[in-house]
Amino acid sequence: MSDPGCATPMPLADLLSYWLGEMDQVSEAELEQHFFDCEECSARLARLAQLGRAIKHEIRAGRLSALLPARFIQRLKNAGMRVREYRMQPGGSISCTIAPDDDLVVTHLHAELGNVRRLDVIVDEGEGDVRRLQDVAFDPAAGEVVLFPCSADVRKLGVATLRVELVAVSDGAERALGSYTLNHSPHR
Amino acid sequence: MPQSLSSDDDAALARRIAAAAPERDKVAEAEVCRRFVPRVRLFGLRRLRSEAAAADLAQEVLIIVLQKLRDGSIREIERLAAFVLGTARQCIVDSRRNASRRERILEAFPVDFPSLVEEGMEHLDSNRLRDCLQGLAERERAVLMMSFYDDHPADVVGIELGLSVANVRVIRHRGIQRLRECMKLDRELS
Repeated sequence: MSDPGCATPMPLADLLSYWLGEMDQVSEAELEQHFFDCEECSARLARLAQLGRAIKHEIRAGRLSALLPARFIQRLKNAGMRVREYRMQPGGSISCTIAPDDDLVVTHLHAELGNVRRLDVIVDEGEGDVRRLQDVAFDPAAGEVVLFPCSADVRKLGVATLRVELVAVSDGAERALGSYTLNHSPHR
Repeated sequence: MPQSLSSDDDAALARRIAAAAPERDKVAEAEVCRRFVPRVRLFGLRRLRSEAAAADLAQEVLIIVLQKLRDGSIREIERLAAFVLGTARQCIVDSRRNASRRERILEAFPVDFPSLVEEGMEHLDSNRLRDCLQGLAERERAVLMMSFYDDHPADVVGIELGLSVANVRVIRHRGIQRLRECMKLDRELS
């Protein structure tokens, strides 16, 4: 029966696991039977799916910024996104831009991350605008994190300098892993 | 749509359709489609990861279900939802075996069904979504982006981030909860 009220709503964690393909076959079949029977839970699952698609849209539109692993950038490229990439070693400086036909621009920040437990990133955009991004996600074995700025914001920039510093944090102590200078200018 | 019809249970709708045969009870059929097309499309999206394929699946399944209802050949009419789900599962198996059969069915019974899974759902405000995502902790935003970009499970995201599956799930769940609160989706995603 299609009952708009649900006596046993599926937990959000289960809906997420189902949607992302993590359930075993038995659990998956049980959840499918429930949401086919239940208007409320099918609507919740639809909302979750809609939210997931909206997040994907924001990524593809270049409207989000994040620190991400290089393997994810490869996924974006495999999906056909045009990604302008820069690669920097600690202490390095580059001239960078974003072209009209670039979907995204990213910078690979290489550093020795092997023994790092927590990684913070300090971003200095000049004129006192300094942000500290705490405990970013990273793969210690990768030896790099990728700066993934909001492309829509980068396109609005004039000539600008961005200084980025990677900092390892452990037991209250900090250790600088590298600093990187990005000299941005609009595309000509 | 009359209130009495939308409050009918599935079996009552099924009986109406069977009783009307060989004529069509178009109102009852439309209500069956309203209820089940979004569910079959969701099921199809999850299994096939393609909007177009999910739309085709929903159309094919509902054509078969309505035909069976008209024929009176569904045995357990009280379990219509289970029959729809079973038909959807079988259609996916069959489509892998025989794509041309599906094409024939779709050509023989062109029917306009609701166009979107989200039909009837409130549109998500993209500016608010962006602000809410940017307001998450760095790890939460990264994990949600990596999970939902192409619907990857925790083990794949964990490999990409050097994290355990359990850790990815905890970060992901916390991120979704915060996003839900920020987007004011508490009631819908409770």
